[in-house]
Amino acid sequence: MGSLEIDSLDKSYGAAKVLKDINIEIEEGGFLVLVGPSGCGKSTLLNSIAGLEDITGGEIRIAGKKVNDLAPADRDIAMVFQSYALYPNMTVRGNIAFGMEIRKIPKAERDEAVHRVATLLQIEDLLDRKPSQLSGGQRQRVAMGRALVREPQVFLFDEPLSNLDAKLRVDMRTEIKKLHQRLGATIVYVTHDQIEAMTLATKIAVLKGGVLQQAGTPAEIYNNPVNTFVAEFMGSPSMNLIPAQAGQGPNGPTLSIARKAGDPLVLPAPEAVAAYAGRGVLLGLRPEAITDEEAADRNARVVETASCRIDVLEPSGADTYCTTDLGGKDVIGRLRADAPIRQGEDATLAFNLDKAVIFDPDSGERIA
Amino acid sequence: MSARTESRPDGGRVLRALLYAALILFAIYYLLPLYVMLANSVKPLEEIRQGNMMALPQVLTFEPWAQAWSEAKVGVAATGLKPYFWNSIKMVVPAVIIVTILGALNGYVLTKYTFRGANILFGMMLLGCFIPFQIALIPAARVLGFLGIAGTTWGLVLVHTAYGLGFATLFFRNYYAAFPTELIRAARIDGAGFFTIFFRILLPSSGPIIVVTVIWLFTNIWNDFLFGVSFGDFDSQPMTVALNNLVSSSGGVKEYNVHFAGAILAALPTLIVYIVSGRYFVRGLMSGAVKG
Repeated sequence: MGSLEIDSLDKSYGAAKVLKDINIEIEEGGFLVLVGPSGCGKSTLLNSIAGLEDITGGEIRIAGKKVNDLAPADRDIAMVFQSYALYPNMTVRGNIAFGMEIRKIPKAERDEAVHRVATLLQIEDLLDRKPSQLSGGQRQRVAMGRALVREPQVFLFDEPLSNLDAKLRVDMRTEIKKLHQRLGATIVYVTHDQIEAMTLATKIAVLKGGVLQQAGTPAEIYNNPVNTFVAEFMGSPSMNLIPAQAGQGPNGPTLSIARKAGDPLVLPAPEAVAAYAGRGVLLGLRPEAITDEEAADRNARVVETASCRIDVLEPSGADTYCTTDLGGKDVIGRLRADAPIRQGEDATLAFNLDKAVIFDPDSGERIA
Repeated sequence: MSARTESRPDGGRVLRALLYAALILFAIYYLLPLYVMLANSVKPLEEIRQGNMMALPQVLTFEPWAQAWSEAKVGVAATGLKPYFWNSIKMVVPAVIIVTILGALNGYVLTKYTFRGANILFGMMLLGCFIPFQIALIPAARVLGFLGIAGTTWGLVLVHTAYGLGFATLFFRNYYAAFPTELIRAARIDGAGFFTIFFRILLPSSGPIIVVTVIWLFTNIWNDFLFGVSFGDFDSQPMTVALNNLVSSSGGVKEYNVHFAGAILAALPTLIVYIVSGRYFVRGLMSGAVKG
């Protein structure tokens, strides 16, 4: 039994359906990240779990108990908001203790709980300040403190890092991860940042247009996306989707990719592609699966090399990204920083086909 | 800016002097009536009769003030303005308190607990602000008669509550519209109910808009004449009506000095309210507009 189960959840505003038949489950101590572009319904889903929005159909269970009709305060959850939502008229201490005060917990117990959380988050010095006197990172900590002090079944985070600057965001991300490991708490976390999703999650749920596209571990989502949307959304730079022609060669199915100059590039393809022979498909290859020969994964079973014209080289320090034209599209590869490859010249690139995924170009669904 | 002043020190200074001169001139112009009232309210009547309204008093006397407050004839009874002053206080204070609380609650519900038709309801309340008082006189009289509070202070409180609510709701609604909804949500998750959120989260952050509303209501209700004269009895007639009766009571000579003193007395409370909280008034109007 999961710590949080969402069972065929529907939500509509009047005629507009914003969440359609969502099924997700997260085990106790799990870290579920809801990710998707803005307007995909991820925040609505989080608010539905919190009880801040009514749902139209389906069921939400927390620790096995149906909570559809419970008020937010009775669901055994705590939430950290994007804007932190600290009560401006109260001190940090007042903010953290407010919920306990409402629940009429004795003063001594409250003080102890505040102290415990403040120590954990290293905000003891700030307890008597007002939120307006705190920096962004400090407010973030206080907001987490307010959630932590409840010791709930499930923590809900609504894009908690999006108001911080880039450096602080990375620090706080690590801190949230540490906190999760230390507390073993169940967390549901909303973000539109796919790096946050990859680094934090034990399970990622990708949403688009109110429909759950795929739910799985970060590795599953990254390596085995179920459709082109998930493939392109996760990862940066995003996955190359190369238009290719499926065919039948002497050794099995093949993919042939048009090149600007010279013959098409012909690559071996998995058996499932046989059904598509004679039709167009999309070959999905992440940039790290297109490298210079030296950098090719030695453990990979199928690595094909081909000469390609390098249109653009973008050194990023640790790696160099190259752009080449395949199937009429710009395709990005990731080279070693010191690979002897020059812009505007032909170079031999290695394609790691173990990592290849193939999609139907019309439906965007995965074929192989 | 400073560099420019340094390069043309004289030009800047002349401009500034002209500016101040103009400002002082306007200030004098606007303060002149107050000066005339003050100066003449502390003169004996003979001195005013000599015809020089602008002159400072030769003989200083506070007799007119004492008369206006407690001895002058208002209508038929020689009570002075004192009883009516208290009538006004008894009417204004409850009305202001009731309207401010109701306005804040309305604003809270209209922005944070919206329901179907909330905007239509708000539109209708706003419309109420723009209905001329005269149109409402007869319906109001019927309602007060039906409720059995015609001619009482509570009757006037009710009428002013009905009329003040539109603007008070407008003020609070616009202020609370800028209040972050996430705070309300956080409080709900913390277990706070409707009124706990209102009193613990919303009201403590509403200082500026409360001041704005109180000044607005206090001034309007205190200065109202029409409702006071229409629905007030001796026991409930406010200061404004009494002042009118004081001035128009024909007891032979026109006691201008008493009238001036009475007029100042009638204007004093709103003046004090504004001076004490005026700076919040401006700040409140600003913060409602700028706060994102």
